[in-house]
Amino acid sequence: MTSTVHLEIPASGAYLAVARAAATGLAAQLQFTYEEIDDLRIAVDEACTQLLARRGSATTLNVAYHLADAELRVDVSIEASDRGEPLERDTFAWQILSAMTDEVREQAEAGRLRLSFRKAGGRG
Amino acid sequence: MDLDLNVRKDGDHSVLEVAGEIDVYTAPKLREQLIELVSDGSYHIVVDLEKVDFLDSTGLGVLVGGLKRVRNHDGSLQLVCTQEKILKIFRITGLTKVFPIHGSVPDAISAPAE
Repeated sequence: MTSTVHLEIPASGAYLAVARAAATGLAAQLQFTYEEIDDLRIAVDEACTQLLARRGSATTLNVAYHLADAELRVDVSIEASDRGEPLERDTFAWQILSAMTDEVREQAEAGRLRLSFRKAGGRG
Repeated sequence: MDLDLNVRKDGDHSVLEVAGEIDVYTAPKLREQLIELVSDGSYHIVVDLEKVDFLDSTGLGVLVGGLKRVRNHDGSLQLVCTQEKILKIFRITGLTKVFPIHGSVPDAISAPAE
């Protein structure tokens, strides 16, 4: 069974602690290990931080947490009228995000920029 | 969660104890403190990360910036960290080769200058 939790926060770094806390709580529900939870927490933070850097006039940041049996999939998205250049890969942020997750994808669609990743863990 | 900073002198060294979460929101406070230390003539800095609960790439960038500043004055910036979750971030980004990382503040202070 899959459940989804949607979080909408103001597009400001001040609220990233909330996105991290939600990730921690949901991963604990999936019985992720402490190490898996730490990895997930930083992955959510890095994904949100990268999109906030592109916020332009956007006022909100959306984070969707999709809970499956032994996997958490996270979609972070922000309104972006101009796609701009793809996110730079040669950064500490991207190194951390890709090392901490099982798959990262970047998409631009219908005026939104989206970063999605999967993190397996827990009962699997 | 906020970021708490506490500075004390120990001989030639300034020890900056950091507690809390370092992210894009709190990192500017750490950056300003490092800039202030260097402008006040502290070129040998030990950053104690033992009470840091969270550190992301923005925080890493601030520490690298601090390192560049002290090196401009032939100084040093050493870290104290034994928490695996934080050490992991330094390893992933290759920064264990850039920063001397010690197990305690006395170890960092007594370490030979590079």
